[in-house]
Amino acid sequence: MPPETTTDTIVPGSREPDAVSGSTAGSHADFRTLEAGLDALQTSPLAEKGPWRRFADGVLPPVVLLLALIAAWQFYIVIAKPRPDLTPGPLDVLTSITDLWSTGHLQTAVVTSLSRGGIGFLIAVAIGTPLGLLLAEWRLLRRALGPLLSGLQVLPSVAWVPAAILWFGLSDATVYFVVLMGAVPSIANGLVAGVDQIPPQLRRVGTVLGANRVEMATLVVLPAAMPGYLAGLKQGWAFSWRSLMAAEIIAVGGSIGFGLGSMLQQSRELADLPGVLATILVILFVGILVELVLFAPAERRLLRRRGLYLTAGR
Amino acid sequence: MSAVSVTERDRTDIPGNRPPGIIVSTNTAPAAIVAADVETAIRVEGLSKRFGKAGPVVLDNINLTIKPGEFVCLLGASGCGKSTLLNIIAGLEHPSEGAVTVASGKSAVMFQESALFPWLTASRNVELALKLRGVPRGRRRGEARELLDLVNLADAADKRPHELSGGMRQRVALARSLAQDRKVLLMDEPFAALDAITRDLLHEELERVWRETGRTIVFVTHNVREAARLGQRVLLMSSRPGRIRNEWRIEDNGPRRIESPEVSRLAIEITNHLREEIRRNAA
Repeated sequence: MPPETTTDTIVPGSREPDAVSGSTAGSHADFRTLEAGLDALQTSPLAEKGPWRRFADGVLPPVVLLLALIAAWQFYIVIAKPRPDLTPGPLDVLTSITDLWSTGHLQTAVVTSLSRGGIGFLIAVAIGTPLGLLLAEWRLLRRALGPLLSGLQVLPSVAWVPAAILWFGLSDATVYFVVLMGAVPSIANGLVAGVDQIPPQLRRVGTVLGANRVEMATLVVLPAAMPGYLAGLKQGWAFSWRSLMAAEIIAVGGSIGFGLGSMLQQSRELADLPGVLATILVILFVGILVELVLFAPAERRLLRRRGLYLTAGR
Repeated sequence: MSAVSVTERDRTDIPGNRPPGIIVSTNTAPAAIVAADVETAIRVEGLSKRFGKAGPVVLDNINLTIKPGEFVCLLGASGCGKSTLLNIIAGLEHPSEGAVTVASGKSAVMFQESALFPWLTASRNVELALKLRGVPRGRRRGEARELLDLVNLADAADKRPHELSGGMRQRVALARSLAQDRKVLLMDEPFAALDAITRDLLHEELERVWRETGRTIVFVTHNVREAARLGQRVLLMSSRPGRIRNEWRIEDNGPRRIESPEVSRLAIEITNHLREEIRRNAA
């Protein structure tokens, strides 16, 4: 029986022994098609969410919750009728915000605080990044300085305000000093954590590819440490902003300008509770805005490029 | 050495044991090889390795000469130090005793995990290797395309590693190690984590690349069939301490397939020797 007609029985030895010749006889083009077919089977295209879907998933839930909270607050004011000077309603706070806006105080305070926070944060990045790299790569320094830096991260940076006032007086230097003490340890520790999490294999590849120390640091270590570094930057910004508010509340006057913290303190002295609440909301809002506009997109982009952001959408 | 010569006699005693088309010979004394061939790509002399001063001996007196363009498979069970030997040849670890000479200088290395940089696209990963080799910026992109096309991945050049399958990642890693343009390519179980179908295709891919580029390849594996499928020489290592126990030379009659009878016959024979080595470690 010729081999072509055997359909359900295989006669041993009846098939041509193409073992050796098979792969060469089949042309290279055949192999490429075969490989391309397997590649197609093993990869599936990632479905990108549309803009409307992203809006519905990301923006809608917090906005709905916020509106619900404000409604509940207003509801409580209407039903329970508490003392208006101790429990102002959402409308009182809104009025207070518009008043502060019309006098120009609000804009001045936001600009002052934000620019100080931003400059302080950038200085902290400039100091924290090389410090973190040094700590990550130099074991002895890390053993010596590591615990101190972790301790500084836990120490509330408000604790530095009295000392800073004595050293620098009521000047911007005081504010920046406090901000730096808050942010630098976070940034440095974040970078150290990021470097520690680099798979050792990536460094070996760097060595194998012939990278020198500088190339290793800039082309392998820093990019590989980016997720941890970005987390450190985010925390560093949070600490900058908090420390700044604390410093502005305590240190008022002198050559220190009028920031959001100063505005908060002023409203307290005037027993203006709607003003206090309005300022708190503005501080909160600025914090959320910076997170949403700067850090969240950067983080999403970074993680998506590395394939680490897949779980969030599912 | 005496154990090796015994197995050699064993095999010549049974002529039917020898599969057609494959010339099998055992470890001749290394000195004889050196004397016979002046041209060597890699020479390992009296190499021993132990981790720490009081640690166990991982590699014991390894002697090995590899010719340019040879495809050598290092085979052994866990703990035979085959990866350590490869790392020493790669210069990633240092021998406790003995010396390793790679005639062409440094060598390219490929690992079990593709170890691609996850923040770079396939093309950029290859371009980075070109950059570190000193290829001028303007030529990198084109050369990376050519290398990716060599492993049939030109269409995936702009994809990131996480978008590629395991087999595709290993092919990018192969393209990257070819980008280093070094005569010696060291491979540490590069296909061990892949499924059988993908691995089979990659064997063919690697064999073709080897024939086209003329690289000297040292391929570490614990897969006997893989070694029998790919190697021109298969070196069997014993475990604890790691020594080269046996060697098979396979006549190169063009591409083989993993299913072919002579590969199976050789795999059975090697497996028997491997099992014998493993049995030694009982009790």
